[in-house]
Amino acid sequence: MSNRRRRGLGGGAAALVLASSLAACGSDDGGPPTLTWYTNPDAGGQAEIASRCTDAAEGRYQIETAVLPRDAAGQREQLIRRLAAEDSSIDIMSLDPPFIPEFAEAGFLAPVPEDLAERVTEDVVQSAIEGSTWNDELVAVPFWANTQVLWYRASVAEAAGLDMSQPVTWDQIIAAAQDQDVLIGAQGARAESLTVWFNALIESAGGHIIEENSDDPEDITLGLESDAGRRAVEVMRAVADSGQVSAAFSTENEDASATGFESERGGFQVNYPFVYARGLGAVEAGSLEQSVVDDYAAAVYPRVDEDTPAAPPYGGINLGIGAFSENVDFAYEAAECIVSEENQAFYFVNDGNPASKASVFDDPEVLEEFPQAPVIRESLELAAPRPQTPYYSEVSGGIQREYHAPGSVDPDSTPQTATEFITAVLAGDQLL
Amino acid sequence: MTQTTLPPVEKTQPVSAPHGTISDRSKAERKLGWLLAGPAFFVMLAVTAYPILQAVYESLFSYRLTDPDNRSFNGLSNYWVILSDSLWWTSLGVTLLITVVTVLVELVLGFALAMVMAKALKSIRPVIRAAILIPYAVITVVSAFAWQFAFDINTGFVNRWFDWIPGISADTDWFGGQGTSLLVICLAEIWKTTPFISLLLLAGLAQVPEVLQEAAKVDGATWWQRLWRVTLPNMKAAIMVALLFRTLDAFRVFDTIFVMTNGANNTESVSFLAYRQTIARLEIGLGSAVSVLLFLCVVLLAAMFIKGFKVDLAQARGE
Amino acid sequence: MSRKEKIWWWVAGIAILVYCLFPIAWIVSVSFKAPSDLSNKQFLPDGATWENYRTIFTGSGGDLFLPALRNSFGICLIATAISCLLSMFAAYAIARLDFPGKKLILSTALVVAIFPVISIVTPLFNVWRQIGLYDTWPGLIIPYLSLTLPISIWTMSAFFREIPWEMEQAAQVDGATTWQAFRKVIVPLAAPGVFTTAIIAFFIAWNDFVYGISLTSTSAARPVPAALGLFSGASQFEDPTGAIAAAAVIVTIPVVVLVLVFQRRIVAGLTNGAVKG
Repeated sequence: MSNRRRRGLGGGAAALVLASSLAACGSDDGGPPTLTWYTNPDAGGQAEIASRCTDAAEGRYQIETAVLPRDAAGQREQLIRRLAAEDSSIDIMSLDPPFIPEFAEAGFLAPVPEDLAERVTEDVVQSAIEGSTWNDELVAVPFWANTQVLWYRASVAEAAGLDMSQPVTWDQIIAAAQDQDVLIGAQGARAESLTVWFNALIESAGGHIIEENSDDPEDITLGLESDAGRRAVEVMRAVADSGQVSAAFSTENEDASATGFESERGGFQVNYPFVYARGLGAVEAGSLEQSVVDDYAAAVYPRVDEDTPAAPPYGGINLGIGAFSENVDFAYEAAECIVSEENQAFYFVNDGNPASKASVFDDPEVLEEFPQAPVIRESLELAAPRPQTPYYSEVSGGIQREYHAPGSVDPDSTPQTATEFITAVLAGDQLL
Repeated sequence: MTQTTLPPVEKTQPVSAPHGTISDRSKAERKLGWLLAGPAFFVMLAVTAYPILQAVYESLFSYRLTDPDNRSFNGLSNYWVILSDSLWWTSLGVTLLITVVTVLVELVLGFALAMVMAKALKSIRPVIRAAILIPYAVITVVSAFAWQFAFDINTGFVNRWFDWIPGISADTDWFGGQGTSLLVICLAEIWKTTPFISLLLLAGLAQVPEVLQEAAKVDGATWWQRLWRVTLPNMKAAIMVALLFRTLDAFRVFDTIFVMTNGANNTESVSFLAYRQTIARLEIGLGSAVSVLLFLCVVLLAAMFIKGFKVDLAQARGE
Repeated sequence: MSRKEKIWWWVAGIAILVYCLFPIAWIVSVSFKAPSDLSNKQFLPDGATWENYRTIFTGSGGDLFLPALRNSFGICLIATAISCLLSMFAAYAIARLDFPGKKLILSTALVVAIFPVISIVTPLFNVWRQIGLYDTWPGLIIPYLSLTLPISIWTMSAFFREIPWEMEQAAQVDGATTWQAFRKVIVPLAAPGVFTTAIIAFFIAWNDFVYGISLTSTSAARPVPAALGLFSGASQFEDPTGAIAAAAVIVTIPVVVLVLVFQRRIVAGLTNGAVKG
C-alpha cells in the first residue's frame, strides 16, 4: 500500500469521525444554529413563545426548549451542574431570581450588552429589575414577574366586617377568620415557599434576612435577630396557632392552599395569581360552583404592622444567557424577542404568569382575563426580593430547616438558633 | 433448646487436578478462567472501587463546585464537621430505625407469606406467586408515589377509610410529623420488599428435610415446636442471607424518602444527607466525606453480619 | 385436607393477593381521576377520564415523558445486554473451570451488590462532567452495570452449575464438533438461565432512581423514574398528581407483563442466585 493511499484513508476516517461527532452535537450540517432554552415547567406558554421567536428569527436560528424540575431548588441544581461542566449547550435559561447572584458570581452568565440592557429594562417594574441585578449590573433579562396577593372571599370579608378597600394586617385576617371560622392559607411546607413567606414577613416588618451582604460567606451578617425578625416569627406563629389553618399546614404548598380556598371553609390565603385560573378550571370541570369563583377577590399582601406598607413576595423568571454558549449574540437576540410586550401579554393570559413590563397590565385582553391585574401590578411595585447572595441556597435551606414547622417557632429562641445555624453552615462548620 | 438438623452432606466438588502439582492443563485452565471472568471483574472494580477512591480523595478538600478557585486541602476536617454535627447522627438514627423496623417486620411477614405459598393449594399457587412478584418488580419511586397519594390529606382515602381507628381522622396529616412520616415510609418499604424476603425464605423452606418434619410429628411435637426446633434451625442459612441482603439494602433507603417528604421533619436518611451535600449544595468535599462515611457504615454492618452471625455465604450457597 | 383448612388457605391466598395488588390498583385508579376528582377522598374516581394519559402522551407532558420512556428502555436494555454478556463468560468460568480467584470474584460481586449507590454517584458526577459523559446514555449505562453485574454473575453461575456439562463431551464423543456440541447441547441448556438473569437485571436497572436524577439533566438521557418528579400541573404551582399516576402506570406495565409471563423463572432465578448462588 502506498503512502499516499494510506493518508487518503486516514483523512477519510478523520472526516468520518468529525462528521459523526458533529452530527452528535446536534448542530446539523451548516443549518441555522439551534438555541436550547431551559424552561421551568408551565402550561406550555414558553414552548409556544419559543416557536414564535423561531418564526421571528426567519431562519437565522431556532429555539428548542428543555424542561427543568418543578421546584426552584431543583431547577438550580440541574442548571448549575451542567454549567459547572462548562456545557456549551445551555443558551437561554429561565432563572428563578434568588439564584441569579450565584450564577453571576460563578461566571455562568454571559454579560448583558449595554444597549440591550437599556431596552429590556424600559418600563419594567422595579422588583423585576432588582431581581435581575447583581453588584449593580444587569446580569439577566427580566421576563415575567410574579407576586403573591391576599386572596379572600368577598362574602367572608363582608360578614366579618373587614374593610378591604383599606390595607389589612395579618392580625385582622386572623381575627376575621376566627370570627367566620374559615381557613387562612399560607405555605407552611418545608420548601422554598416557606422562605418566600418568611421573607415577606420580615421585609414587611422593616427588616431583612441578610443585613450586610458580602462575597465571602463568612462575612455575611444576618438580620434574623432584629425586632423585625422577631415580629416575623410572631406573625408566623400566630397564623399557625390561629386554629384557622389546614390540618396539614406544615406540608401546605401553594397548591394545597388553593385547594383549601376552594373548599367550603375557604376564607383567606396568600398566594400567586394562578389561584384564579385554577378556580375557573375547576368550574369548567364541574367540581366548583361558578358562584364560588365569583366570590374571589384580591388585595395587596397583608401588613405586619398597621402603619408600614407590606412588602409582598417577588418571584417570577428572568432569562440568563449561558456563559459557555456558542451563540451568545443570537441568544440575547432571542431573549429580547421572548420578553417582548406581546409575548409577555400572551404568557400572562395563557399561563397566568404576570408580566414584568408595566404596560402589559393595561392590555385590554389581560384585564379581561385577569380582573385582578391592577392589584398584581401594585403588589409588584411594593414587592421585595429575597436576599441576594451567591449563597442563597444555604441561607434559604437554613431558614427552611429552622423556621419549620411554623407552629413550633418561638420569637425568643428561633431567631438566635437560626442565626447560629446558618452562620455555621456558611462557614462550612455544619451540614445542611 | 435442642435443634434438629441433618449433618452437612458432602457436596460433589468439580473435578480438578490435585493440589500441589500444577499441570499444564490446570495452568491453561487458570488462564482461561481469568480470561473469561476478568472483564466482568474489571468492570465491577472500575465502576465502584475507582469512584470510592476518588471520593476518599475529594473528601480531603474544601471544594464547592460553584467556587472552584477557593478549593483547598483541609485534611480530615470535613469528617470532623460531619461527626460533630447532630444532623449526621439524626440521619444515622433515622436510617437505623427504618432498617431495623422494616427488616424485622419483613422477616415475620415474609415468613408467613412463604408458609402460605409453600402450603397453598396447587390451584392458586401460580396466581399467588405472580402477585407476590409484582411489588418486587414495581419501581420504588412508583410505589412511593402510590403510598404517598393514599395517605395524603387531600388526595388520599386512608383518612376516610380508617377514621374509626383512634388517632386517625379526616384531619390526620401523615407527612406533618416525624413519627407518622416514618411510619408511612416504612409501610411503603415493607410492601415493596417483603416479597423478595419471602421468596428467599420459601427456597429455604424447601431445603428443610421432610424426614425430620415427619419424625418430629411422630414424636408428638406440636406445630409450634416443629417450627422452632425443626423448620427454623434448618433454614438458618436462608434466613441469614435474606437478613444480610435486606439490611444492607434498607440501610441505603433513599427513593421513598425523596418522594414522600424530601427530608422534612427529620426524616432524612444518610443516603439523602449525602445526596443533598453533593448534588444539591455542590459541596463536593463535604458530600464526598458523607459518602465515604456511609460506605464505611455499610462495610461495618456487613462485617458484623458475617462475623457476628457467622453467615457463611459459601455454606448458604450450598458449597 | 379438611374443608375448613381449605377455606383458610383460600382466605390466606386472597389476603396475599389484596396485599400485593392494592397499591397498584390505587395508582391505576388515581391515573383515571380528573383534576377535580383528585381530592374526592375516595378510592375510585367519580368519573373515569383518559385525560391524564393524554397529558403525558400528547399533551404538555409528552415532551418530557416520551423521551424518558425511550431512554429508560434503551439504557436498561443495553445495560442488561452488556452485563449478561460479561457475566455469561464469568459464570461459565466460575461454574466450569477451576482457577484461583473464583472466590475473589464472587465476593467482589457481593461487595459491589451491597455498595451504597450514593457513595459512587458523587465522584461519578464529577468525573462524568469532566469527560463529557454527563447526561448521555453511556453515562448511565456504565453505572447501571454496578447494579446489574453482581446479581447477574451470582444468578447465572448458580444456573450454570446445574448444567450437566458432561453432555458436551458425550456429544463430542458421538462425533459432533466442539462448536456443534456447544450449539446443540449447551446453548439450549444455558439459555433459560441467561434469559432469567436478563429479566432480573432489567428489573434492577429499570428501578434505578439515584443515578437517573444525579447524572442526567435533559431529555437526552433522563429515565422515567427521574422524569416522574418533573411533571407540572396546569401551572407550576399545581400538583401534577394525575400525570404522575398515569406515567407510573405506564412504566409498571412492562414489569407486570414480564412477571406474569415469566413468574416461574423469575422465582427460580431470584432464589437460586441468593440462596444457592
